[in-house]
Amino acid sequence: MKLQRLRVEQVRQFRAPFVLNDLNPGLNLIHGPNESGKSTLVRAIRAAFFERYRSKSVQDLCPWGDSSAAPTVELEFEHQGTQWRLIKSFLKRTRCDLTIGGDSFSEDEAEERVAELLGYEYSKKGGSKAAHWGIPGLLWVEQGTGQDIEQAVEHAGDHLQSALNTLVGEVASSGGDAVIDKVTAERGALLTRTGQPTGEYRQLGEAREGYQEAVNDLESRVAQYQQQVDRLQAVTQEFQKHQQERPWDKAQTSLEEAQARLAGIQQLEQQQQRELETLGHLEQQHELTGQNLAQMKRAGEQLTERREALEMAEQRLRVTESQSNAVTGELAAATEAYNAAARQLTAARAQDQRARLVREKEQAAQRKQTLSEQLEKARTYQVQLNEALKQSQENRIDVEAVAELKRSDRALREARIRSEAIASRLSWALEPGVLASLDDHPITGDGAEQLLDRARLRIAGVGTFDITPGGDQLADTRRTLAEREQSVQAQLDKLSVPSPEDAEERKARFEAAEQRRMHAEDLLRSVAPSGIEVLGVAQAEAASELEALEKRLGTAPEVVKANVPALAEAEVEFSRAESRLKAAERAEREYQTLLLTRRQARDNAHSEWHRLDREFQSNEHQKKLAGLEERFGALSAEKREKAGRVERRKEQIQQARPDILRQDIERFEKTIQHLHDTQVAREREMREIKVRLEAWGAEGLEEQLSEARVGLEQCNRRYQELSRRARALDLLLSLLVDQRQALTRRLQAPLQKHLDHYVSLLFPEARLEVDEQLQPGRFSRGRELGHVGELSFGAREQMGLISRLAYADLLLEADRPTLIMLDDTLVHSDQSRLDAMKRILFDAARRHQILLFTCHPEKWQDLGVAPVDLEHLKKSPPTPA
Amino acid sequence: MPRFLHTADWQMGRTFSRFEAEDGAALVEARFKAIETLAGLARERQCDAVLVAGDVFDAQGVSDRTIRRVFNATQGFDGPWVLLPGNHDAALVESVWTRAQRLKSVPDNVLLALTPGVITLDEQGLAVLCAPLTQRHTYSDLTAAFDRYETPGHLVRVGLAHGGVEGLLSEDIDATNPIAADRAKASRLDYLALGDWHGTRQIDERTWYSGTPEPERFRNNDAGNALVVEIDHPGSQPHVEAVATSQFQWHQWREALSVNSDLERLIERLQALPATSVLDLRLSGEITLDGDERLNHALSVAEARIRSIQCERSSLQLSPTQEDIATLQADGYLGNVITRLRDLQEGEQGEAARDALAILATVLKDPRGESAS
Repeated sequence: MKLQRLRVEQVRQFRAPFVLNDLNPGLNLIHGPNESGKSTLVRAIRAAFFERYRSKSVQDLCPWGDSSAAPTVELEFEHQGTQWRLIKSFLKRTRCDLTIGGDSFSEDEAEERVAELLGYEYSKKGGSKAAHWGIPGLLWVEQGTGQDIEQAVEHAGDHLQSALNTLVGEVASSGGDAVIDKVTAERGALLTRTGQPTGEYRQLGEAREGYQEAVNDLESRVAQYQQQVDRLQAVTQEFQKHQQERPWDKAQTSLEEAQARLAGIQQLEQQQQRELETLGHLEQQHELTGQNLAQMKRAGEQLTERREALEMAEQRLRVTESQSNAVTGELAAATEAYNAAARQLTAARAQDQRARLVREKEQAAQRKQTLSEQLEKARTYQVQLNEALKQSQENRIDVEAVAELKRSDRALREARIRSEAIASRLSWALEPGVLASLDDHPITGDGAEQLLDRARLRIAGVGTFDITPGGDQLADTRRTLAEREQSVQAQLDKLSVPSPEDAEERKARFEAAEQRRMHAEDLLRSVAPSGIEVLGVAQAEAASELEALEKRLGTAPEVVKANVPALAEAEVEFSRAESRLKAAERAEREYQTLLLTRRQARDNAHSEWHRLDREFQSNEHQKKLAGLEERFGALSAEKREKAGRVERRKEQIQQARPDILRQDIERFEKTIQHLHDTQVAREREMREIKVRLEAWGAEGLEEQLSEARVGLEQCNRRYQELSRRARALDLLLSLLVDQRQALTRRLQAPLQKHLDHYVSLLFPEARLEVDEQLQPGRFSRGRELGHVGELSFGAREQMGLISRLAYADLLLEADRPTLIMLDDTLVHSDQSRLDAMKRILFDAARRHQILLFTCHPEKWQDLGVAPVDLEHLKKSPPTPA
Repeated sequence: MPRFLHTADWQMGRTFSRFEAEDGAALVEARFKAIETLAGLARERQCDAVLVAGDVFDAQGVSDRTIRRVFNATQGFDGPWVLLPGNHDAALVESVWTRAQRLKSVPDNVLLALTPGVITLDEQGLAVLCAPLTQRHTYSDLTAAFDRYETPGHLVRVGLAHGGVEGLLSEDIDATNPIAADRAKASRLDYLALGDWHGTRQIDERTWYSGTPEPERFRNNDAGNALVVEIDHPGSQPHVEAVATSQFQWHQWREALSVNSDLERLIERLQALPATSVLDLRLSGEITLDGDERLNHALSVAEARIRSIQCERSSLQLSPTQEDIATLQADGYLGNVITRLRDLQEGEQGEAARDALAILATVLKDPRGESAS
């Protein structure tokens, strides 16, 4: 569709007819400042298409203050080789005329034709609204709405869809979406979005559990009831059986029998008890008699025993008495030996004392002799020492000073040698007799003098010669020499020696004397380390000790006996004699004790024997013995007889087992008790169960159970039905949605293709995806990923325009008219984006006619088309139509 | 010339969980009605006695109300009723019978055969030899004792027992409550009235199962009768007449549908069913969407007319034809969905696919405006 000509009259500021002619089939840039009429033109075009010619809601088209105007819009365009011309007048003169090629249409029919061509609807009442605009709403962008594409696409939906259907050749289901809605609603009544049961379905599931619980409960109660009936049956049978058989009577009989048998045994036991007592007494008597008899018989035996004991004691006494002499003899001999040894010991001790004194005296004399000799020597050494000390003191000289002097003297001599070397030598050989003097010192004969100083040689008669020695160092040498001479002289004076040689000599003497002194001191120390006085005292002490010892020796007795043994030998002998004596004394004491004991024993034995002997020989004793023997015999016989009886009866009792009989009795008693108790318990249980069963039976449990089962079954059936229905709806819905999506994907493809084309011009890396509603949806650029709605305003506006262009391409492919109108679009784009968008617009204009209205012509200079200046056009006179 | 009514297996207190609550209640009510019918029949035919061969009650634990209603229902016949405990209502030490006695609900003309032995109805010329179950199950022939029971020679000897005739009805040798096949002859009975088998059945010329007077199962075994037995005098042949007593007829149909005429015939049969029918219908094979709709319609009509219909058709595949799809106006991807669902019926999700297809068809058949809202 190409718009070729637009004419307006009595529309807003265009009171006079205004014509926009010679429109380009491609891009048209129409510019003018604000209020120059751009928007009025846009409004006029929209009104011509969208507004009913008889609409009362188009007052805004009238020029200001002119309510009697008849706004008229006239459009000429070409579509698929056919020329269309539409003239619409509003308000005062309502008219609509349309010619398509050679055909003319008017009024409503004309309007419907145009709407069908462009793909929009009319408002049923009032002014046209966005919802009616259809495809033009998508392609005609009003100022500042370029980014809002969603609504526009929705409003164009049906037209787009039908365009797509033509393209894809696919018949979209005419009622498909309605079916999906219906099925979704049906499913929603049973299942939640996530597939969980809801509504009645869920309630049934819950109710089912409730019924199941009731059924389970009743089942267990019925089972309990039946079990109780069984129990009652069993107990009743048992009770009746016992009541007939009366087993406790049989037990009672057994009990009585056992009791009777036990009574018999108990009687026997009592007899046995009595017999045992009698037997006990008998045994006691028998034993006593036996004891008496034995005692009497033993008296005779004792007499013999006593006699033998007496003889034995006497024999022992005799033996002891015979040992008396031996013991006494030994004691005397030991005493004598002891005394002899004691004497010998005294003598030995005296002899030993004297010998020691003699030895000590000799030692003292020896010591005195030694000390005297040492004293002598010490005195000699003392004299030598004194001599050396005297020498040393006479020659005492400072050794260091001597060494110093020696060094000074050597230096002096060196100085002299040097001065002689430097000095002028004046040697002379005077004729004898010639009087001459040198510095007033007469000189004669041959001689020579070293002159260091000015000297005056006077030769009598001849006159005087002043000799002045030359040379640099002379004065210095002379001064040094003098200093050294003075030094030597001073040192000599100090040491009070005439010459250095004397000093040496004296030093040698002093050192020799010192040597001797030290030697003498060493000798003296060797003999008298503590001094001569101490040595003298020691010598005197030794002399007095000797004297004392000689005196003691004089008083000590001289030993007379020749055979005196050594002291040690005598001491051994004495101790031996002493112990022998002690042993002999002890042996004597023991002997005396033994003797006394034996005598006592003999006396006791005798008196015992005597007493027994007298008693045994009596008459009465013999008679009593005979009586006892007779009685003992009788008792023994009686005892044997009784014991035999007791033994027999014991056997009889044991065979009857009274312990087991007692157990039997206990057993029978317990059995009877138990049987009675059990029967009573049965009776009680029967009563209890009957009462319980009557109560339960009245409830009609099994009928209740049946009813509960009916409820469960019905609930279950309904649940299964709904479950089946839910599964079916689920399956159906998923199939429907799948198929619809598959279809949508096929429909999306062509639109996506065009969208990709434009997006790649704007962002080479980016991609804008079409969603199910054929809306631009997901936007991705490199790693960025998001919805187109999340982009910046500028980018959204660009994407909006791109999408519209893509729709236009799509419509073109489906042979639908595409006129694109942009009112001051892309005002939010930066320069680089704007450049890219210009490329896109230029590209799109190759396929579609684009009317671009702007008040910023400078921004669109490089669009490659001549701009149309609205102001300029307005001033030029209208071309006749 | 004694004449008596032989019936059994009343199963009072039974409930019907597989039916809708309303139908179940009606079926329960029919069982009480059956007793009244029996009483009426006994009176009408001038019977001397009514002999009930066990399982009067379905369980021991029925409600007091049920017990009272059962005995109330016997009022229509004032001659003697002999009620024998069966395996469902065995004469245990505590049983539905002892409860009935405690409730004082047993009328004087109703005799409870709670212990084995002979009930002599001198006036009616009958000696009834009773073999009641006193345990839930026995493995010995309780009727063996009939041999020993001596009865006066002028009375007709009638055995009354509950159990399975050996070697005839049950293959299982260890079957509970067995009854010797030649019992009537061996115990010199003029007639042996049996219960336990719910259909009417003759065992020999003197031995019969009466069956239940009102069916309660889908077994096509001639249930729903009572026997009017007439014996001229001791030793003569009994004359037995089966009289229908049931209020409802139970049917079980298993139909395979493949061609259209199968469906037509089924619908015709449905239409022919009397209102007192209880139907269990199981369908297999395949059906078109159009056929399915017609079937639904027929079932819906029948449901309103007869007592109960239960239709199981998980084995019946929906096979939409091209005409079906065209009728549904299932254009675009909806057509694909229908094709997918048709194919899915073969697999694991068969049932869900079948139901889904039915739902989709329903949704598509809705008027457009309605489905859009």
